Amino acid sequence: MRVRSFFVAAAASGAVVLIGWELGAQHATPMIASSSPADPSTQAASPASPSPSAVPPPTASASAGGTAPASSGGTFAGAVVQHPYGTVQVTVTIAGGKLTDAKVQLTESDGHSQRIDDYAAPILRSSVLSAQSAKVNSVSGATYTSDAYLQSLQSALDKAHFAG
Amino acid sequence: MGTMVSLSVEMPDAIGDPGAVDGPGAVDNADAWDAARASVHDVFRALDERFSLYREDSELSRVAIGDLDLTQTSNELRETYELAVRWRSATAGAFTPDRPDGVLDLNGIVKAIAIDRAGRALSDAGAENWCVNAGGDILYRGSPEPGTRWVTGITDPADHTKLLTSIELFGDYVAVATSGYSERGLHVWHRGPIRNGFVQVTAMAADIITADVLATAALATPPDEWNAFLAEHPVDILAVDATGALTVTPRLLDYFAAAAAG
Repeated sequence: MRVRSFFVAAAASGAVVLIGWELGAQHATPMIASSSPADPSTQAASPASPSPSAVPPPTASASAGGTAPASSGGTFAGAVVQHPYGTVQVTVTIAGGKLTDAKVQLTESDGHSQRIDDYAAPILRSSVLSAQSAKVNSVSGATYTSDAYLQSLQSALDKAHFAG
Repeated sequence: MGTMVSLSVEMPDAIGDPGAVDGPGAVDNADAWDAARASVHDVFRALDERFSLYREDSELSRVAIGDLDLTQTSNELRETYELAVRWRSATAGAFTPDRPDGVLDLNGIVKAIAIDRAGRALSDAGAENWCVNAGGDILYRGSPEPGTRWVTGITDPADHTKLLTSIELFGDYVAVATSGYSERGLHVWHRGPIRNGFVQVTAMAADIITADVLATAALATPPDEWNAFLAEHPVDILAVDATGALTVTPRLLDYFAAAAAG
């Protein structure tokens, strides 16, 4: 069973963030979230609904309210939306009237893993790019045999360390 | 065990200036490094001598061929077996020391025990910042440089000369372990055919035994069964299937989202 869910968060500036991803539903019967921050009254989107649903006006953590001018900026948290596998909240940061950051906060109701192919793929590609610029201290992979070690990235790292 | 152990350790400079190219400080520090390396080597050798199934004379090999009854084995072997059985229960049988052919194989957990002990040896020697990588399973302490966190590269199962991504340690995590089908030397046995399609699973945890066991268990079970042990153990998992598609747990998803956002 696959459920495609869309959530829409409207920011004060009028910027609209649309985040969609695919949840590979593994559990037919969702567990009850014991630590969910969701307030049932703020639930706005039907999780299984294929059509985008608007959430209530965002609450601003900055001084700007829902009707504040865009130029004042701030970080705005969308409503916490309950879906069968947990909750999701989109937070956007507005500076100078421009959307500078959007973050999806996804809380699992049961610690259950998810299939997130559509959503995760672009994120992971970016992570790979950052991995190339970051200094990797050690490499984790499936068990290396001695032979495989000689061909491995860890081996290259070790050589670099000893050479350095 | 046919496993390469990579060691990265910064020895304390209380006994001298580690940057000194000559003088007593440099010599003492080099000695301390050699001692640390020797102690790690001793830990692995001792466990290999007792548990290796590639050594005919190991205690575990003697159990395997019926030469030695389990009740007559050393305390260490029985305690290790007990630990493996406890993890078998905790993972609903996904991690098990019992091979399908009936042989008791404790090496799935012994490597993690070895890494754990090696780390203790380094800490006992006074090292505060170190990293032990045994065959791709890693335990960290401290930091690589002041104000930074250790960064682990995760190999791409489709091409071991490439990294899939890199992950900085976060939360309480100090251990990263990866299990997969892309290399020989697995200690993963399935109850029936492979059901989840994963070829590589990486787990992050607050200790190396948990990370190692749960990476193995997650490789052997479909995600809807992970809940049984993820609920009890604070770990995060990155799994790669044969098509390259990824499955991650929520905190790791948050981590990647934050990393992508810069």
